[in-house]
Amino acid sequence: MWRRGRYRRERILLPGEHEGRRGFLKWGLAGTALLAVGGGTWLATRRTRPLPALGGPFQVLSPLEATVLLTLAERLVPPREGFPRPMDVDLPRRADAVVALAPEATQNELRQLVRLFDNALTGFLLDGQFHTFTDSTLEQQDARIAAWQTSRYALRRTGYKALKKIVYAAYYGSPKVWPAVGYPGPPPLDASERPQEPAPKRAEARHAEPKRGEGAPEGAAPQRPRPRPAAPAPRELEEIPAPRSGMDLPQGGKP
Amino acid sequence: MSESAPGRIVDAAELRRDAEETPDVCVVGSGAGGAVVAARLAARGLRVVVLEEGGYYPPEKVKMDEAWAFPALYQEHGQRATADLSITVLQGRAVGGSTLVNWTTSFRTPPRVLRHWAEVYGVSGLDEKALEPHFQAVEERLHIGPWPLEVVNANNRVLWEGAGRLSWDREVIHRNVFGCQNLGYCGTACPVGAKQSMDQTYVQDAVRDGARVYAHARAVRLEKSGKRIAAVQAQALDSSGKPTGRKVTVRSRLVVLSGGAINSPQLLLRSGYDPSGRVGRRTFLHPVVASAAIFPDKVEAFYGAPQSVASHHFADRGRGKVGFFLEAAPAQPLLIATSLGGFGALHEEQMSRLAYANGLIALSIDGFLPEEEGGTVSIRSDGRVRLDYPIRPEIWEALREGNKALARVQLAAGASVVYSFHENPVVMRTESDVALLDRAPWEPLRVGVFSAHAMGGCAMGRDPEKSVVDSRLKLHWLDNVWVVDGSVFPTSLGVNPQETIFGIAHWAADHIASAGG
Repeated sequence: MWRRGRYRRERILLPGEHEGRRGFLKWGLAGTALLAVGGGTWLATRRTRPLPALGGPFQVLSPLEATVLLTLAERLVPPREGFPRPMDVDLPRRADAVVALAPEATQNELRQLVRLFDNALTGFLLDGQFHTFTDSTLEQQDARIAAWQTSRYALRRTGYKALKKIVYAAYYGSPKVWPAVGYPGPPPLDASERPQEPAPKRAEARHAEPKRGEGAPEGAAPQRPRPRPAAPAPRELEEIPAPRSGMDLPQGGKP
Repeated sequence: MSESAPGRIVDAAELRRDAEETPDVCVVGSGAGGAVVAARLAARGLRVVVLEEGGYYPPEKVKMDEAWAFPALYQEHGQRATADLSITVLQGRAVGGSTLVNWTTSFRTPPRVLRHWAEVYGVSGLDEKALEPHFQAVEERLHIGPWPLEVVNANNRVLWEGAGRLSWDREVIHRNVFGCQNLGYCGTACPVGAKQSMDQTYVQDAVRDGARVYAHARAVRLEKSGKRIAAVQAQALDSSGKPTGRKVTVRSRLVVLSGGAINSPQLLLRSGYDPSGRVGRRTFLHPVVASAAIFPDKVEAFYGAPQSVASHHFADRGRGKVGFFLEAAPAQPLLIATSLGGFGALHEEQMSRLAYANGLIALSIDGFLPEEEGGTVSIRSDGRVRLDYPIRPEIWEALREGNKALARVQLAAGASVVYSFHENPVVMRTESDVALLDRAPWEPLRVGVFSAHAMGGCAMGRDPEKSVVDSRLKLHWLDNVWVVDGSVFPTSLGVNPQETIFGIAHWAADHIASAGG
């Protein structure tokens, strides 16, 4: 048996991995090759542990792939007071809906990536773990994520980034998470603030009534409508000098 | 299309049969370049058809919701990035292009950039004086003017106050808004129609002057005939962006490509037109590094005009160095969660303080070093577009120094703690901690790098062997095709690009009309 560190340093050359700049596309090849190598081995037959409740139905993800993403989400967003659990926001279905918008080739790459991430043989070869990701302890799961996150192979970091982005977009895109992060959500819109007509055209625009705020006085030169302050009201203003003008660096060339 | 037919916006998703058009001009893309050209040519009486792959979203149809907006309004449903995912690329995909979703920042082209293009790339006739009337015209049409300092939101105020305390140059940004309510939802498209984006301005002008705009129509192929493009073939897409099987074919005397710096090169490459091997080369991104600071008081960086203060103090750092400029970024939850480094408890802890967080960005000014080649747009064997951008050591240096500058600004403005966007975030509480950034890893996928300014790929220049379009933006090797968008820049700009594209498009329309009209 090779020692793990040595193994990692000297023996593992996934297709493409020695060339960090190869694209995400190569994940497909790397994944396929690795899965093929592992096809008949005991490790590769270790099962993804499916979770009983996943939501769905899914457009793209298989239940096992959804299980891997949900398990990953459980660690990317560990339990914390006030934060809903990933299943509370229907995370697998939200992630699936985003993946479903991608071209088929991208969908296939992502599905392969998800399976590769879970795969016991990959875990063994790269991280010395004998279990699938979904069948590992929480500590092992965190270690697996960190191994991909900090890998010296750019390709693995790419895989980590792809998975992380899908999970966080699905989770933090849900309004159920907003209270946990102190985001009150969009302000209510007064229907009267919405212009009934398309924006005025050319010359007329200069004489259009501002929708809100101080309008131009009768007969005076048209004035830009004054916007209201953003919420919250700005703190006490410091003494504000006029913006510098006449900088010789790129600054827009405003006269 | 008869000459008296009123213009309109047609949703190609609803086409029941293939459509064919024979206008004077076909414009591919309705963003900052295409909309302005379409409006100006239509105003001269030319019959114009615009092909736009995205949908049409008037104010009453948009939602102030990131989870809706990124898939609906952004390129690749919000997933556009370099092939290795090391640089996230935000670009709009809708009638109005990126102007529908950008943060309204409007700068004229810095004169030194125009001089650089003339000296190094042989661009002729495109100088400050030539552009002046065109900038004036678009500034008037789009209500471009300075944002009042008293309504700058707390997030941008951090940059204003921090830069002020450090005695660095700072300025209030000019914005293309009219009746802005200071809501803060520019990035999910303005819900009150205050943003003077192309869909609300020049596209409407073009339509009033008879232009027909096909939304959900993706140009996929240019058909060549001798030294001309005889037809543009487009696929009709459904509202999720999948082809419906219907086609739109446009046969026109003149063709204008305005798909932006990724999609214009993509269309030319797909169509097999790249005689000098320069299409899709020299792609520049203003690669961005971000910094998050936590303040004792609420910042609520998700509200208020997202970008209203800038500092160009470090734009020119001397020979051999890449300059950078500083701006703010809004902090709505999805954008921040997918951008922050790290995972698990640390990521969650940072997210839990979102309301107290300030987000600033440093944008590196790429493309000015003699040895810089930028990125490359290419087509994958399975047909998808691919963007590569190897970050040079000089760019990494600028990102590192930019990050340090941001941390200094935030600490000077009173931040309790500053986090870098490294996967293992650098935590800074005092000025002396800023040096920790020198020891952080500056490598792909170890720190978040972003771009919202794709430029180049169809560079203008005198030499047909080294550029794609001439100084009038006409393709060197074809007689009736112009490229009018950010792809024609030979370098990046050092300022947010939309107004440069407006101005150049306004200027180029005269040349196109006189050459082809």
